[in-house]
Amino acid sequence: MIEMYGVTKIYPGGQVALKDISLKILKGEFVFIVGPSGAGKSTLIKLLFREELPTRGQIFFGGKNITRLRPREIPYLRRRIGIVFQDFRLLPEKTVYENIAFAMEVVEAPGRDIRKRVPYVLERVGLAHKAKAKPSELSGGEQQRVALARALVNNPDVLVADEPTGNLDPDTSRDIMNLLDDINKRGTTLVVASHARELVDSMKKRVIQLEKGSLVRDEERGVYSNET
Amino acid sequence: MRLRTIKYFFKESFTSLVRNRWMSLASIGAVASALIILGSFLLLSVNFDHILKDVESQVEITAYLEDSLEQERISQLKKDFAAISGIKEVEFISKEMALEEFKEQVGEDLLEGIENPLPNSFRIKVNDPHEVALVAEKIEKFSGVDEVKYGKGIVEKLFNIIYWVRMIGLAIMVVFAAVSIFIISNTIRLTVFARRREINIMKYIGATDWFVRWPFLIEGMVLGLIGSSLAVAILGIAYKYLYVTVKLNIPMISLLPIEQFYNYAFGFLGIGMFIGAFGSSFSIKKFLNV
Repeated sequence: MIEMYGVTKIYPGGQVALKDISLKILKGEFVFIVGPSGAGKSTLIKLLFREELPTRGQIFFGGKNITRLRPREIPYLRRRIGIVFQDFRLLPEKTVYENIAFAMEVVEAPGRDIRKRVPYVLERVGLAHKAKAKPSELSGGEQQRVALARALVNNPDVLVADEPTGNLDPDTSRDIMNLLDDINKRGTTLVVASHARELVDSMKKRVIQLEKGSLVRDEERGVYSNET
Repeated sequence: MRLRTIKYFFKESFTSLVRNRWMSLASIGAVASALIILGSFLLLSVNFDHILKDVESQVEITAYLEDSLEQERISQLKKDFAAISGIKEVEFISKEMALEEFKEQVGEDLLEGIENPLPNSFRIKVNDPHEVALVAEKIEKFSGVDEVKYGKGIVEKLFNIIYWVRMIGLAIMVVFAAVSIFIISNTIRLTVFARRREINIMKYIGATDWFVRWPFLIEGMVLGLIGSSLAVAILGIAYKYLYVTVKLNIPMISLLPIEQFYNYAFGFLGIGMFIGAFGSSFSIKKFLNV
């Protein structure tokens, strides 16, 4: 699904965020990207949906070299990737339902699809009863579920999450992780950047560890870290 | 594009117009006043043009003929003149006709018993008033032509005035168009800035740049359209009043008829919308780079 070959990212100003990263993520996999702050996790995520371009190296998504996309092709790449952020990024003046429907309106989906699909994803994240609430009336965990529903509503091939539990308490974080696992089991490829050590360890998934921009470990059924 | 999407664009832009109503009103007012000034100057210059065209078309050459000329030579001259390029019309005015005209101007009695002192002449109209001097020079060279007269100097001065009116008008128009674009661009910038989060999310979800752009473009065009409609309405009323006043009090000046104003009005609305669209596209650009 995702392949990286010799990817290096140096930001203007000379800060080296990633050094010579090569990796392969298969369709249907659940992969954690771990490492301390500043290790390059967010940069790696940004490269996946073309918010950033690598300084060197190639990135393939579904067999297509996304480093060579023309600017007007980028939206169509992003429609195949659901994105979830640490800070949820919901629109405060829209209801839960509208926030999710918005994601479909933006990609110009037909009205009848929107009316069918939004209740379905709300049901899946367990928030069907909060459809009319505003984000400010929800707990952090619930807001992240809305964000997840929004990321899923256009049926992406890959769900990418950057510290999805970063703002949540441990119990809620576990709920979210279980939800991610459930989403993965239904066929969506998952790439999750996290530094929630215990949580990652308990999930028993593939773990890719970054350290100062380098890939230092890539283990099937791994744990966050052996040393330190 | 889906009807639903178009509806979405309009809903978004009108929501935003209402949400920022004070800023919207301010920019409509600013655009209207800029366009009123622009429009006044446009009307001034168009009317100047109109009046001068009127004067231009009256510029004609009079070629006085020597008294001794026979009828045959006169006919020949008429043919020769008509063959000169750029000449529209050649009219022969005989001594007698000239006298009749003169009598009409000064009164019959005054000339009683005096022998006709006026010469035969040709009245010549040219196609392009710019060529009057050139044509006059050619005519002067024919034998049998005693003297050639035309509004020498006046013609050149008129053209000079027209030229400068147009240039200054153009310059002022450019300045005011730029001011309007700047004002609208700033209004839209506020909207865009207030909604930068939303734009950011839209881009992550996979909205195309045009999808993000349209509501803001529509918002800008609506602001421009309302502003220019206001300007057209005010200018229209003012011009109608001016037109009637001038017609009643100074009948020799013929202003551009009021109907012609409507032709310009449509162009004006177009300019308003263009200014709005241009101003807003200016502001969105920066925020699309995600």
